[in-house]
Amino acid sequence: MLRSPHSTSDDLLVLHALRCIGFAALSRLAEATGLSESDTESELIDLAVAGLVTRDSGGFGDFGGWGLSEAGRAADAERIRDELDTAGARTAVTRAYDDFLVLNPELLDICTAWQLRSAGGVMTANDHTDPVYDSRVLERLADLHRRADAVCAGLSAALLRFQRYRIRLATALARAEAGAVEYVTDDFESYHTVWFQLHEDLLATLGIPRN
Amino acid sequence: MIWIHPLSPETEEPPDVLGGKGHGLVVLRRLGLPVPPGFVIGTGACLAFLRDGRFPDGLGAELATAVSGLEAATRRRLGAPERPLAVSVRSGGSVSMPGMMNTVLNVGLTSEATAGLAAETGDVRFALDSRLRFLSGFASAVAGVPPESLDAAARAVAGHGPGDDEARLAETIAGVEALIRERTGGPVPDDAARQLELAVGAVFSSWDTPRARTYRTLHGIPHDLGTAVTVQAMVFGNRDGRSGTGVAFSRDPNTGESVPYGDVLFGRQGEDVVSGRSATLPLGELAGREPAVWARLLDALERIEGHCRDACQVEFTFEAGELWLLQVRPGGLAGRAAVRVAVDLADEGVISRREALLRVSPRHLRYARTPRIETAGTLDVLTRGLGACPGVAAGRLATTADRAVRMAADGPVILVRPQTSPLDMHGLAAAAGVVTARGGPASHAAVVARAMGKPAVVGAADLTVDDAAASVRAGGRVFPEGTLVTVDGTGGEVVVGSPRVVTAPTDPHLHRLLEWADQVSGGVPGAGPERDDAERLRAAHAASGAH
Repeated sequence: MLRSPHSTSDDLLVLHALRCIGFAALSRLAEATGLSESDTESELIDLAVAGLVTRDSGGFGDFGGWGLSEAGRAADAERIRDELDTAGARTAVTRAYDDFLVLNPELLDICTAWQLRSAGGVMTANDHTDPVYDSRVLERLADLHRRADAVCAGLSAALLRFQRYRIRLATALARAEAGAVEYVTDDFESYHTVWFQLHEDLLATLGIPRN
Repeated sequence: MIWIHPLSPETEEPPDVLGGKGHGLVVLRRLGLPVPPGFVIGTGACLAFLRDGRFPDGLGAELATAVSGLEAATRRRLGAPERPLAVSVRSGGSVSMPGMMNTVLNVGLTSEATAGLAAETGDVRFALDSRLRFLSGFASAVAGVPPESLDAAARAVAGHGPGDDEARLAETIAGVEALIRERTGGPVPDDAARQLELAVGAVFSSWDTPRARTYRTLHGIPHDLGTAVTVQAMVFGNRDGRSGTGVAFSRDPNTGESVPYGDVLFGRQGEDVVSGRSATLPLGELAGREPAVWARLLDALERIEGHCRDACQVEFTFEAGELWLLQVRPGGLAGRAAVRVAVDLADEGVISRREALLRVSPRHLRYARTPRIETAGTLDVLTRGLGACPGVAAGRLATTADRAVRMAADGPVILVRPQTSPLDMHGLAAAAGVVTARGGPASHAAVVARAMGKPAVVGAADLTVDDAAASVRAGGRVFPEGTLVTVDGTGGEVVVGSPRVVTAPTDPHLHRLLEWADQVSGGVPGAGPERDDAERLRAAHAASGAH
């Protein structure tokens, strides 16, 4: 029998987004969770009252806004672990993490090739004036994305919240393909930034320390 | 033999058959330099294997014959309980694809052979360490276990004290064996010949992983070249205190200065240096600790330079005081270093001035304009890693992203982390430069640093970040948060204080090269406000008939 994927409550979605993306303004949190800005803000206020998140007015540039407190970090770890076990998703997420680890070095190679060009043993910054080269890199990103999307589909079938990564990664790729070069590595919603958060999410979900 | 070629001076096959590594080893043999005995399985066998999904006809028999020959040459037997032979199985195509393909070391160390090695050397720790290295390579190359899982297996037994090396190794071995069983559904084959076949097959297959295909597409390398496989008798850099491994350049790759440069690790095998996971010592340490190895290495570098008429680099291992060369490559010098080597070689009479001009491309000149730390004076080097984003940045050291943000209000900050996570992004944004202890030029930290345009050094392996104590430790010294440091994201240096920074126009070697360029092209030096350096070089190339 097919089980329908586990759906995460809005307050945990917001708490966990902060755990995976770090200090962030409201708009970025809404983007990461897929909730509206007003719903996200309402959850943040409740989480702040509970002492799990803090609002930092002195943050740096675009990072000003919301952050996790120590209590929030601990609460997130516990609730995300409980969710994983309640949903019976540990096996599926572990397998997806293994598949992710195979794709991760390739994605980093692609991002590096997007930023630096190697010729005659010299690495120089890619100034994006050679459309043939750029489209070759983007083709490899699109090819990797097809394989990555299959991994994310498996994750989403177990925990619905991972669906958001499918959407954000596909959007970043589409924007980059449409000529917005900052959506490969530079923008807050660039392919690499979202991928980096997915990596952090898998580690956090499985309780694997980064070191 | 059709598929297999001996590593001997007489072998004449070109690099597209032997691979760059195999061909380089044949050249070293011709120069009379010490290379462990072995043979090369040509790229044709790889292509046939990838086409048919099995070893081509005759390869199995040739492999058995070649192994017998190696056994005779070393007076050892593969997988034997007494005097066991262990071999290295390395990839190597005609075009270098660093880090893309597989290598398995210590193949043939079955449990019986491991016991034999322990009995022969009287050193159980060494034998177990070698067996663990075999299993880790096998797990990664043959069973597809990701490096993160192998690291986790090693960490899981980290609780032992310093005297418990053997117990720790035995437990880690059991952990890696379990990972392999989990992945493949069976145990590691305890038959040495079978281990070798599987390792060779895994190296062949690594040519065609999606990551390798992507790498080739990105770098314009054809997909139909295939990789050769070099099989050699192991030399053990992990044998004892008079053993080790390293990388040596005939000239300093940062400056081009004609002094040997590189890294050495005592008591380890080659992968430890290349992977950047272990803290290495400067090459010069060899001079005091193993003067005979040092002398032979210098002699080898000189002979290779004489042959190539260019700077070169070698990977080497020494076992119980005896030097062996495992790989040779062109120097791979870039920017200002390439300019200096070309000018020096012309001054030494090794190449003509015209050839010196042709060896430097306009790209090198563009690269040479990147600001660098002046390395000529005495520098107080805090640590070294790999340059990941070119440029120089100076600032006060911070060990957490939060503190980097706070400290940045009072002036520039250098963020130093073990590695980075998305939770460090605000700190990266606030910092003027970044240093990480782990990771390579294609790591999350490197990609983010480049996206933000911050000079970055990654993989500074001897660096420990203690964010609770707000300090970092490197080279036996402790530096508190707030220490003024400077990072060079090209050369990978992290220096205490604010050393002088140089840019190309002050470089005397570049000056001379461009004078030669004007002589060749008939251009007038100093004419006009400042003729572009690359223009002057291009004019000389055009006059020399180069495209």
